[in-house]
Amino acid sequence: MKSEKVLIIGGVAAGTKAAAKAKRENPDLKIVVLTKDRHVSYAGCGLPYYLGDVIKEEKELLVKMPEDFLIDYDIEVLTEMEALKIMPEEKTVAVKSLRTGDVQTFAYDKLVLAAGASPFVPPAPGKELGNIVTVRTVTEATAIKNLINTRGIKDAVVVGGGMIGLEVAENLTLKGINTTVVELAPHVLPPYDADVALYVQKYLAEKGIRVLTGTAVKAFEDNGQGDVGVVITEAGPLKADLAVLAVGVRPNVDLAKECGIALGATGAIAVNELMETNIKDIYAVGDCAENTNLITGRPVWYPMGSTANKTGRVAAINLAGTGHKDTMKGVLGTSILKLFELNMGKTGLSERDARALGYDVETVLVTTQDKAHYYPGSHLIVTKLIVDRKTHLVLGGQVYGEGVVDKPVDILVTAISFGATVEQLTKLDLAYAPPFSMAMSSTIVAAHVMINKLQGRFTGVSPLDLKEKMEAGAVLVDVRSDEEFFLRSIPGSINIPLRMLSERAGELDRSKEIIINCKLGLRSYMASLKLKRLGFEKVSILDGGLTAYPFETE
Amino acid sequence: MAEKHINARGLQCPGPIVQIFKEAQNCAAGDILCVEVTDQGFKKDIAAWCKKAKNELLSLEEEGGVIKARIKKG
Repeated sequence: MKSEKVLIIGGVAAGTKAAAKAKRENPDLKIVVLTKDRHVSYAGCGLPYYLGDVIKEEKELLVKMPEDFLIDYDIEVLTEMEALKIMPEEKTVAVKSLRTGDVQTFAYDKLVLAAGASPFVPPAPGKELGNIVTVRTVTEATAIKNLINTRGIKDAVVVGGGMIGLEVAENLTLKGINTTVVELAPHVLPPYDADVALYVQKYLAEKGIRVLTGTAVKAFEDNGQGDVGVVITEAGPLKADLAVLAVGVRPNVDLAKECGIALGATGAIAVNELMETNIKDIYAVGDCAENTNLITGRPVWYPMGSTANKTGRVAAINLAGTGHKDTMKGVLGTSILKLFELNMGKTGLSERDARALGYDVETVLVTTQDKAHYYPGSHLIVTKLIVDRKTHLVLGGQVYGEGVVDKPVDILVTAISFGATVEQLTKLDLAYAPPFSMAMSSTIVAAHVMINKLQGRFTGVSPLDLKEKMEAGAVLVDVRSDEEFFLRSIPGSINIPLRMLSERAGELDRSKEIIINCKLGLRSYMASLKLKRLGFEKVSILDGGLTAYPFETE
Repeated sequence: MAEKHINARGLQCPGPIVQIFKEAQNCAAGDILCVEVTDQGFKKDIAAWCKKAKNELLSLEEEGGVIKARIKKG
């Protein structure tokens, strides 16, 4: 096989994956990895847990040391090296050593851009003050950890309520720091739907995290010693001796742009299925490269470590010169996170995305157990399914709760990837024994509820629309037992236990819309069938029941 | 003062709470109710019940997915 020179710019996930795989494909390749940072191949996604001492020491985050690559793989990794300019005609890259300042030229036959992404810093006055930090590299995380452990941080403000921001907020809270999250969007976790995100906000409030949404940060104020003391927001000033900026990341594309590599609609580097850019022999992988959404076929940018590893591998196979080819068809925007005991994951289109794209959308919120209810350790989880009414294709799903959510999310990933309809979901031969699942798993139950809804067997009301409906005269009837109602209920609801519904139906005004609520949804469904048989016409069910209700109860 | 043990393992909500409601009616003030439950929602429920029904939650422990609560009737 040909002994070509492969130069890789970037050494975290995608760059090191591309290097290691290319060498396995073709051991004759001469591979050099350049990285600006001191560290390579580190667990970037683990940084929030490092702050919270779930991961104790820096070394636990480092997957491999630069010298390991030379010894184990015969790959040269050069750290603290910044690529300045790519010259595609000569097939060279000018590179500056950050240690010595020297500039030297590296020649390549194949070039891989794995330049990653950088945190976006909002242009608020005072952002240069001390103790205002981003959490992207091990170096940054270690600095924050030292600050927390030596300076006794009392109050922290996390700017940005996305996945990283919330994970950081969780870990700061676990360290006993009084933490406020400030998010510009109307709710935290912007890729999730509002009904799911508001549930998460309610949960975070119970855990002592203050969340301000729809709120911009206006400035950072000095504490008199050059460090941040107060964060000025639209909702007022917040005391802070640490401000973490987690507003999101932007792809590192300057190097590519300057040498004529085309960017896509999202602003990341445009690539084809082979991970090739528009310039011959230059590939782009990981967070600096654009993706395709598998459902819509449109360009998207989801900077995820899971995708970075896959794209690095695909580029490696295609550039190695073995004659084998591999392709990256696209992604679904799958993500998952844990906040305290709450788990949540999503895949595919959100309800909001699907509506914006013009789909005729139907959704359900279905509360079930994650495993057999009688098996110790079972928990409730909520499945939100998003389906196209025309084709019945599953478009997306969001699953959340204190139980197992990664399995149902991954079932949906698989189903959507292979173009499953909601009917096909109901017959999947999923693994079952009490410690693992219910006989009818959460995904299958959710699919059945969706089919009942698509067939018009019941009408759902989103918890987001409940208040407005009640103000317009709808009556919320809680059909749980009186004991359950005594413990917790939605303000303004009345209690008629399901067992007494037939005899007490006369108390209800038939001219009004009746919305039925229970804990999970099954009793509501049975109650709605009962009322319809009694001649009630305007009957609907609160989607997700009390368990998924994202607002205050009493 | 009497101590009463309730096994509500395997029962789903509202099972455990209904059982405690019933047993509590037959108890005198100061009696102790010990209950074992596997329904995870019970943790929140029992705290809410004690608060609303003016009982005292003496302890709430979890071991291997089984929740054990000790309640003093108020």
